[in-house]
Amino acid sequence: MAAHAEVAGAAVARAVPAVSTAVPGAWWVGLGLGAALLLALLAAAMSGAVAVQWSDWAALAQAERSGGALVLWELRLPRALFAAAVGAALGLAGALAQGLFRNPLADPGLLGVTAGAVCAVALVLTFFATVAAGLPPAWRPWVLPLAAFGGALAVCFVLDGVARWLMPGSIAGLLLTGLALNALAGAVVGLSVYVADDEQLRSLTFWTLGSLAGASWPVVGLLGLALAIGLWQGARLAKALNALALGESAAAHVGVDVQRLRTRLIVSVALLAALAVAWSGLIGFIGLMAPHLVRGVVGADHRAVLPLSALAGALLLLLADTVARTVVIPAELPVGIVTALIGAPVFMLLLRRMALRQGGHA
Amino acid sequence: MNAPYDLTAAVARAPAEAAAAEAPLLELRAATVRVPGREFGPFDLRLAAGERVAILGPSGAGKSTLLKLMAGERSAAAGSVWLAGAALNGQPLARMARRRAVLPQAHAVAFGMAVELIVGLGRYAIEPDAQRTRIVAEALATAHAAHLVGRRFDTLSGGEQARVQLARVMAQLWDVQGALLLVDEPLAALDPGLQIELLEAITDYAARRGHALVAIVHDINQALAGFDRLWLVQDGRLAGDLKPGRAALPRLAELFGVELQWVGDAQHFAVAVRRRSTAGAA
Repeated sequence: MAAHAEVAGAAVARAVPAVSTAVPGAWWVGLGLGAALLLALLAAAMSGAVAVQWSDWAALAQAERSGGALVLWELRLPRALFAAAVGAALGLAGALAQGLFRNPLADPGLLGVTAGAVCAVALVLTFFATVAAGLPPAWRPWVLPLAAFGGALAVCFVLDGVARWLMPGSIAGLLLTGLALNALAGAVVGLSVYVADDEQLRSLTFWTLGSLAGASWPVVGLLGLALAIGLWQGARLAKALNALALGESAAAHVGVDVQRLRTRLIVSVALLAALAVAWSGLIGFIGLMAPHLVRGVVGADHRAVLPLSALAGALLLLLADTVARTVVIPAELPVGIVTALIGAPVFMLLLRRMALRQGGHA
Repeated sequence: MNAPYDLTAAVARAPAEAAAAEAPLLELRAATVRVPGREFGPFDLRLAAGERVAILGPSGAGKSTLLKLMAGERSAAAGSVWLAGAALNGQPLARMARRRAVLPQAHAVAFGMAVELIVGLGRYAIEPDAQRTRIVAEALATAHAAHLVGRRFDTLSGGEQARVQLARVMAQLWDVQGALLLVDEPLAALDPGLQIELLEAITDYAARRGHALVAIVHDINQALAGFDRLWLVQDGRLAGDLKPGRAALPRLAELFGVELQWVGDAQHFAVAVRRRSTAGAA
C-alpha cells in the first residue's frame, strides 16, 4: 500500500481551512500556574504560628541555623512541598480517571478509589497491627502505602469491570458503584474504629479527616518520584486518551490497544491516588476540580490537560492547606474539611451543567 | 424519497476493474460470530478493492455484527477473515488502522474536544506524520466541514458532528490506496440534502483511492443508486448478494416485507415503498 500523498490534492476544489493541531495557549497557562505555585509556596512557608523573617531564608544555607530557618527547613518547606505534591498527584489522578471513564465527574474520591485505599489502611492499622509490628523496622514505613495501593487498585479494577457492562460513558452506574464502595469502605473503617484501642483510634480519625501534618522530606521525595512516574505515563498515554474520548471501538479502529491502555491507566490512577492518600488521609474533590478548571481554560486535549491538572491540583491543595493551617492559629483544621467545603458546591455545579447539556456525556 | 438520485454519473469508478483481478481485498471464509444466545453466519464473502457494497436488512438481522466482523472488532468464532492477504485475527492494530477505517453510527465524543483535534485522531497510528496538518485540513474540506474548524465538537448539530467524524475517517485513509472503508448507517438521522451530499463525498473519496466501501444502508433508493453490490442480511445470515437494479426489487420487497414500485428508467429512477397488501400479512 504505497503512499500517494497527492491523490486528492488536486481534487479539493473547496477552500481548505487553516488548521493548527497544536494546543493554543497551553504553554502560557502552564507558565502562569507554575509562577502562581511558586508564589503560593513562598506564602505558605512565610505564614503560620511562628513568624519567619526574610533573613531566615539566607540562614538556610549557613551551618548554624536560626530558629526561623529551622522552622522553615523542618516544618514549613516539607509541609508546603508535601501539600503541593499530594495536590498534584490527586489532580493528575483525577484527569487520568476522567479520561479512562470518559467522564468529567469521575473523581478518585467519588468513585471510591481513595476510600478503598483508606479501607485497606484501616485494616492494617487495627486487625493486622500485630502482623505489621512483627515486620523488620526497615519495612514498616512501606506497609501503609502498599496497603493503600492494594486497596486503590482493587477498587479500580472493580470500577473498570462495572464500566464495561454499563452503557458506555454512563456516569450514573459508575457513581452508584462508587457510592456502594464508599459505603462498604465506611463500614470497614467503622468496624476498625469499633475494635481499635485509643492510639489506633487517633490515627484512624486523622486518616478519615485528611491532614497534611505527616509531612517529612523522605515522604516528599517518594511522592515526587511517584509524581514523576505518573507524569511520564501521562505524557506517553495522552494521545491514546484523546482517541479514547471517541469511544472504545473508534479508538481501537484508529489503532489504540484499548485493553492495554485501560490497564496502564488503572495502575497509574491507583498509584497516584493511593500514595497521595497514604500519608495524608482522605482529601476529596481536588481530582475533580483541577481537571475541570484546566479544561475550561485550555480545552480538552489531554496533552495539555494532564500536566496542567497536576499543576492546578498542587496550587489548589497548597492554598487550601495554608488556609487550614492559619485560620484557627495555633490549632489547625484538617485540610479535607476545607477541600470538601469548596469542592462539594463545585461538584453540584458540574452536575447541573451536565444535566443542562442533557446528553450526560460531555 | 421521490427525487431521483443521480450519483453514478458524478463518480469516477476507474480502479474497480483493475483491482478485481488481484487477490480480494477482504475475504470471509465461513466466518461466524457468537454472542450469548445467538450465532451469526457462516458468512462467505469476497470483496475487491474499489467495490461499493450496501448492506441491507431488517433491524436485528445482524448487519452491524457483520460490519464488526469485517472491522476486526469482533473475532470469528469459526472460520476466518482476511484483509489484504493477511488473517485479520492478531494483526497489529496500527497496521490495521492503515488498511481499514470505520465510520461509526454513534457520534458521542467525551469532553467537548476541538474539531481539528478529533479529525487529527484519524492519524493516530501514523508516526511520524509530517503531513498531518495538511491532511486534516483537506479532509475537513472534503467532508464539507471546513467551516467548523475551531469549534467544540459537543456544540455541533447532529449533521455537523457527522461531517467531522467523516473527516476523521477520511484523514485515516487519506494517503493509502485500496483500503477498506466501513460505514455504519451514519446518515440515517440526517436531512435528505445532507445525506446525498455526504454519500457523494464518501463515494467520490473512496473511488479516487480505490478504497472499497461497505455501508449499512436503510434507504433502498440510496442503495440502488450509489452502490455496485447489495448484500442482504436476514436472520443472521447472508440472504443474497445482488446487483442493484430493477431485478433486485422482488428480493428487497421480500426482505423488508413491503411492496416496492420502480418509477423511471434505468438511469433516473426512484423506488416507491408501500405497505404490503393484505395477502402478505401473516
